[in-house]
Amino acid sequence: MIQINNLKKVYNGLTVVNIPQLEIKKGESIGLVGNNGAGKTTLFRMILDLIRPDAGEVLLNDENVAGNENWKNYTASYLDEGFLIDYLTPEEYFYFIGSLHQQSRTSVDEYLAALSDFFNGEILKRGKYIRDLSKGNQTKVGIASCLLQNPQLLMLDEPFANIDPSTQIRLKNMLKDSNKNEGVTTLISSHDLNHITDVCDRILLMEKGKIVKDIATSSSTLAELENYFAVGQGDSTPTPPVIQE
Amino acid sequence: MITIFLQHELKSFWRSRNTGKNIAVKIIMGILILYLLLCALSVGFFMDTFLNKMFPKQDVIVSFSGIILIYFMFEFISRTQLQELPTLKVQPYLQLPIKRNSIVQYLAITSIISAFNLIPILLFMPFIAKVIAVKAGGGVAWAYVVSILGLIIFNNYLALYIKRKANLNGWILIAVTALLVFVCLGDFLWHIYSIRELSYHFFGHLFNYQVLALVPVLMGVLMYYINFLYLKDNLYLEELSKKASKKSSTEYPFLDRFGITGDLVANEIKLIIRNKRPNSAIKVSCMFLFYGLLVYNKPSMHNDYAIILIGMLMSGIFIINYGQFMFSWQAAHFDGILVSKLNFEEFLKAKYLLFTIVSTITFILTTPYAYFGWRILLVQFIMYLWNVGVSTTIILYTANYNSKRIDLSKSASFNWEGAGATQWLLAFPLFITPFIIYLPLNLLGFPNIGLACVGVTGLLFILTRNFWVGLLKNNFYKRKYTIAEGFRNK
Repeated sequence: MIQINNLKKVYNGLTVVNIPQLEIKKGESIGLVGNNGAGKTTLFRMILDLIRPDAGEVLLNDENVAGNENWKNYTASYLDEGFLIDYLTPEEYFYFIGSLHQQSRTSVDEYLAALSDFFNGEILKRGKYIRDLSKGNQTKVGIASCLLQNPQLLMLDEPFANIDPSTQIRLKNMLKDSNKNEGVTTLISSHDLNHITDVCDRILLMEKGKIVKDIATSSSTLAELENYFAVGQGDSTPTPPVIQE
Repeated sequence: MITIFLQHELKSFWRSRNTGKNIAVKIIMGILILYLLLCALSVGFFMDTFLNKMFPKQDVIVSFSGIILIYFMFEFISRTQLQELPTLKVQPYLQLPIKRNSIVQYLAITSIISAFNLIPILLFMPFIAKVIAVKAGGGVAWAYVVSILGLIIFNNYLALYIKRKANLNGWILIAVTALLVFVCLGDFLWHIYSIRELSYHFFGHLFNYQVLALVPVLMGVLMYYINFLYLKDNLYLEELSKKASKKSSTEYPFLDRFGITGDLVANEIKLIIRNKRPNSAIKVSCMFLFYGLLVYNKPSMHNDYAIILIGMLMSGIFIINYGQFMFSWQAAHFDGILVSKLNFEEFLKAKYLLFTIVSTITFILTTPYAYFGWRILLVQFIMYLWNVGVSTTIILYTANYNSKRIDLSKSASFNWEGAGATQWLLAFPLFITPFIIYLPLNLLGFPNIGLACVGVTGLLFILTRNFWVGLLKNNFYKRKYTIAEGFRNK
């Protein structure tokens, strides 16, 4: 599905992404973790042809994304509010996205009805433009519009941030369902190690632009990741501070 | 604390992404203000001469005392329209251990720094020093000075108070303006009372009772205090108290027949209607419809050059005014457009369609100008073809070289955001090209053939539109990363 060769991006002499080789197969669910500045969002943007790589290429279904638009037919993504048309009402936005995929209003309505739990009554028919929604609710609109497109490849940047716990759990189930039952290849980044190990079968760990770990998720993965990120903080289990007098 | 705020504001000015542009704007504004102040100063120095000419039968001091309140009255009107509210982005300071009073004080005190407060000083002080101090003595002169300063402060804070109130409720400004108009009418038209008399009464009494000068000062202090309390009360409301009316979805069934292109146009119409900045671009375009009235009723202006220019402006002003910031309007969601399943050709065709619709509407609205002669209508039609065919293509080509983000929510006046040298450079060929075709033929003695050529060129461009869309698309792909990156920079 995704094939990355020698991908490199440099900003002001600082290499932010440097991936010699990466292959993601159809139907995989990939979790991308890494501290701030590890290059996750830049990688996403290069996969989506929003940033021109300094070297290398990204192939989606064996086609280079740069200068090609076929990938847009089967890829849905939500990275940030910059993906939403914020002066539309959520309904208008969904109809618009639906129309891009030749979906009638009734089929969009049907689909949205199925999401009523996920929306928790806060999105539709609230008489607000998207710009007036809270950040969490904007995220919901973005994710819903992705799923509406029936993608083969789904890319979400920190979808769990800003949304409430109930929605996080619902989202996890939706992601698992679309991956397991509909074979959607998913690529998700998150800082929440619990969620990401729960949803994804394969974890990629980025540090300073490189993929330093590539692990198939198992029962020990969470502990392994926690251990990794606790580096420099002494033990992985926090010790109570010693008060000196 | 206030010095820290000042430092932060200076930093935010210098470090803003458009610093260069801001400085240019400030310099232009600065020169204008300086010019205004110089005018005020020279009027101030020759005030006695002016007053003698205007009211030859009156003592100058009487006429001077009479005009002071009238001046402040009109100053107040212009303040409500022009004076800017001091802005400190308050939010990042509210949760810090900074006293609310110092934030409010900062906002209140910096508002004194305004040309409005300097003008009356330059205007009135020379006369007070030259005439009143000499004729009536220092005590009276000081009384004049103090009461004028008091009036300045009073006017300043009253205007700001009303502007702040009007920010929350637009009707207040309209009500206040209406009230002021009635006050003016009551004096100058209906002669119910006379502000001049009132002004003279007050300032005349200063000769005997100099203590009266404290009245305007007290009014000023009171107004400052009211303003202060209001600001303090509303420090956290500023953001929240915007009216939240219920928004509803809109559809334009007329556009459905155009498929995806129609949907895109519908989105763009919503963009224009629902955001402040493009909204004012549209209003400007409406005003240009009356441009013909200004020019056509002078028979001396009935030459082809003038009509070509005006015809082009009237049916093309939307293309020029809105189109010059093309793609920037959508900067906030440009990433979304790039990754969505959207062929860029459709995106471009939607722009063409939008321009065509608006130009057609404006052309139809300007047909009554046929009253001034059928040739005017003909030239206007030719320029309509030109605009729809050629101007659109030029403007969409320039759009590929524009990568400056625009904040849709800010108003358009004195807002150079998104404007760059390219805009100005590329607007030039837009105005020149029809004349390049018309001028030589006219000079050779074939004005009608010249006009026909302009029209045919427009028509050819319309008929070969798909070709131009293809060219624009290829050019866009070369530029798209630069554009997208520019738009991501807030």
